[in-house]
Amino acid sequence: METPIIEVIGLEKAFGDHMVLKGISMTVYPKEVVVVIGPSGSGKSTLLRCLNRLNEPTNGKILFQGYDIMSPDIDINVVRSQMNMVFQNFNLFMHLSVKKNVTLALTSVKKITQEEADRIADETLLKVGLTEKADAYPGQLSGGQQQRVAIARALAMDPKVILFDEPTSALDPELIGEVLDVMKKLAESGMTMVVVTHEMGFAREMADRVIFMDEGVIAESGPPEEIFTNPKNERTRIFLKRILKEIEDMDPLKPKYETPELAPEAEGVKAAEEGYKWSQEHKEPDEQKRWLGFKFLKRDKKK
Amino acid sequence: MNLDWSVIGENFNYLMAGAELTIIISILSIFLGFVGGIFIGMCRISKNPLIYYPSTAYVEAFRGTPLLIQIFLVYLGLSSFNIQLSAWDAGILALSLNSAAYQSEIFRGGIQSIPKGQMEAARSMGLTYNQSMFKVIIPQALRNALPPYTNEFCTMIKDSSLVSAISVMELTWSAKNVISVTFQPFVVYIFIAFLYFLMTFVTTRFMRYLEKRYAIPGMMGAE
Repeated sequence: METPIIEVIGLEKAFGDHMVLKGISMTVYPKEVVVVIGPSGSGKSTLLRCLNRLNEPTNGKILFQGYDIMSPDIDINVVRSQMNMVFQNFNLFMHLSVKKNVTLALTSVKKITQEEADRIADETLLKVGLTEKADAYPGQLSGGQQQRVAIARALAMDPKVILFDEPTSALDPELIGEVLDVMKKLAESGMTMVVVTHEMGFAREMADRVIFMDEGVIAESGPPEEIFTNPKNERTRIFLKRILKEIEDMDPLKPKYETPELAPEAEGVKAAEEGYKWSQEHKEPDEQKRWLGFKFLKRDKKK
Repeated sequence: MNLDWSVIGENFNYLMAGAELTIIISILSIFLGFVGGIFIGMCRISKNPLIYYPSTAYVEAFRGTPLLIQIFLVYLGLSSFNIQLSAWDAGILALSLNSAAYQSEIFRGGIQSIPKGQMEAARSMGLTYNQSMFKVIIPQALRNALPPYTNEFCTMIKDSSLVSAISVMELTWSAKNVISVTFQPFVVYIFIAFLYFLMTFVTTRFMRYLEKRYAIPGMMGAE
């Protein structure tokens, strides 16, 4: 077997008296995409932030390519330059242009010349599809674009692994797709990734392994097919049921038919058209829109 | 009413020499206060109690006592310890020490206005604490701190008049001299008040220019 990129042994983390991580052991192999899921407060983000020591672990061992990163002989900055992180809130450097955001660590950590760094920045910005935004500032970009820049910033360092800390949680729903697309492309290109996310679709599609965390321990871990279709742990089952229902509930236009074959896709559109026609005939113009919504709600409630 | 405006013209060069010294004193003490303020401000955000507590005591002491007393202490008080500074040196030192206390708070406020995520992002990419501070945090902190710095700079220009009490020959001292021979306090004081106003006005315009020049595109305050 290959040497793992990250090996975590008995990791514990306490904030004061509160134990957040209670003995986590896990391994990440090269080119693997490991997705960490679990209810909020289960310690997913803390686990991720312990991996690069943004949070100092209380106990346990973390090996990065075989080296104990807790050891005093290890320069944590060198480890971090090879284990980049993408944050929930992007955390782009607001006072620097997109390109400078990407090149800052290249020139100041890797000591690459500015010209070479610029070249690398152009390349990575092309990969995330933001070449034309190179001279813009983060404050001028949408959330999705900012997160793509953050991914480019991590990618430019040519890291061994990228840690994603809920990369889509702060995004408007319509901007999530562009970020997930970039992440999928990354995964397909063979990047090793540890992803904390609530995007079950991404987990299902891209994960080599899904880790389900609950109350500071790894409750279950395995390939996505197994976790999603046949979870062994009761808590995993409850969590998945809840979160999948939430996702469905978030889509207001999706009728919740129990038997899909009885629900032709056009039904919603048909209903809308009928309702609109009816309202045209019977209602005052300013009430037409309200009526349309009402009709939809009623249909949904009935089911 | 007996206002004789001609005394301004007659003593113009004399007053301008005073104004020149006021400008030099202000610039020097603002600059020294700025550098000292950054140093003390960095101490104030330190987690080491041996650094944090002395710097906090410094700020409290200079903020909590009258500047005039501080000037007297530096000029006259230090002579009890056989340290004899010239009025000029003592004046600038007292103003700088005082301004450093205020400017350190402005600087600290600027640093703490930057979201924690900026430091985390910089550190997570392998930048050292100092690199993150100087390349990421401080450039943003100084931008945010420009408006309160403007206030402090104007305060410094006006407070520099206090060193006239230890006979530094700046604008206010010169004015007093002119009054003692012309007996025209209103005319002379209104004239130097106008000169002080000119100095602070140029300062505020300059700072406003800096704010615009270094505004971050896409952020609040940018055009």
